[in-house]
Amino acid sequence: MSTQVTRIFRFDASGCNGCDIEVLEASTLVSLGELGIEIAERPEDANLLVVTGGSNLKSKRELEIAYNTMQAPKTVVAVGSCAATMGIFKGGYSMAGPIDNIVPVDLYISGCPPRPQVILGALADALHLNVEGMAELLRTPQGFRGDPHVDEAKCVGCGACAHVCPADAIEIVGNGATRRVRFMHKDCIFCGSCQDVCPSEAVELRAGQKAWFQAKDASLSEAHLAVGHCHLCGAPYVPEAQMAWALRRLDEKLALGASERGMVERSLGICMHCRRTSIAEVREAKRALASLARGSSA
Amino acid sequence: MARSQPGTSVIVYEPHLCTGCRYCEIACAVWHCGEIDVTRSRIRILFDEGRTTERYAAVNCQHCDDAICCAVCPSEALQKDETTGWVTQNATTCVGCEMCIVACPLSVPFFDPALKVAVKCDFCLGAPECVKHCSSGALRLCAREEAVRVNARLYLGAKDDR
Repeated sequence: MSTQVTRIFRFDASGCNGCDIEVLEASTLVSLGELGIEIAERPEDANLLVVTGGSNLKSKRELEIAYNTMQAPKTVVAVGSCAATMGIFKGGYSMAGPIDNIVPVDLYISGCPPRPQVILGALADALHLNVEGMAELLRTPQGFRGDPHVDEAKCVGCGACAHVCPADAIEIVGNGATRRVRFMHKDCIFCGSCQDVCPSEAVELRAGQKAWFQAKDASLSEAHLAVGHCHLCGAPYVPEAQMAWALRRLDEKLALGASERGMVERSLGICMHCRRTSIAEVREAKRALASLARGSSA
Repeated sequence: MARSQPGTSVIVYEPHLCTGCRYCEIACAVWHCGEIDVTRSRIRILFDEGRTTERYAAVNCQHCDDAICCAVCPSEALQKDETTGWVTQNATTCVGCEMCIVACPLSVPFFDPALKVAVKCDFCLGAPECVKHCSSGALRLCAREEAVRVNARLYLGAKDDR
């Protein structure tokens, strides 16, 4: 139990109020007084600032004033995707955030909005509060989506999840010998689109969340994949797992003859650029397709 | 897997007739994208004037029976229409996984960064622009049965039995 009383001031830095409602809900889940938390009515009385929203030009100045006038030791908790990255307001003409551009942030809570249980759990963690016996209270309610988790053994690194992610929370990094698929906590809104589109069923939104981080670029989950190199030009192109998946799928769906399968397998070893720019390769590919067509029509 | 019904037509490309004018690429780009940007053309002509043989080649969809792209597509966005014989892609169900691009030996589909999906030849839904604008007759429409024979002659060294 913290010896010092924590006085929280909630600062709405021009968000949509979704996070504010969840913060309010979090404050009703438990008796704050028993945990040594008080709600401050003015920033001057507070030593912990809970910030929601991505901050626009108007709230930026007010946020600076609030931070400068609050009591030491100063702690700032950024609640929600907007506070961390400006979320859906990213690129807006009036935006001045994210929050860490304006004041130093100690803890990021991800979500759009984060659930009250997550906000409470994060605060308890940050303030080293004794929350024994509250496990049931802090648990994600049944039927709610949790953190995305990518299974490295199943992931083929195709990038469909990154293309479909509405929050741009999935990074595909590295064009060399390895490719990394990273699920960034700061952007993730737990919509589940990645899970829906994943061709290899590698992504799963698991129940339960521990969606708070001190490092802004921490990832919720990531997969590392070896990238295949073109047999002709030597350049890296797609992950080996993706080629293997495609071949497995072909074996399941089409009954290819041995020589046709060999030709398809050979073409998988050649990068798309060579396949589309080399006359010899185009002729080779057409040979494979002509052979398949003859087999089909026979 | 899906196969075309008899009597469907398909595009054949005969390299010895091609002049490399690339009107097909321009016509394709204009029809599909509304602009003369051949990088977005669904057909691609390659030529190497320095070579004495095999100077021309085309990357064009064969609208295969038992199509490889349809087989690997995890979201069933690529479909073979048995009545028309076309292999077409539904941009609204495509998830952009690039499996078709990787699996097609010719790599006919390509990734459109603006739409974040794969795009490919859709036969212009009946009257291919590339064929319409090919002045040398290298690209032409013919019955699938004949196309199989032509391609076998061109690429498999088979004697034409016409």
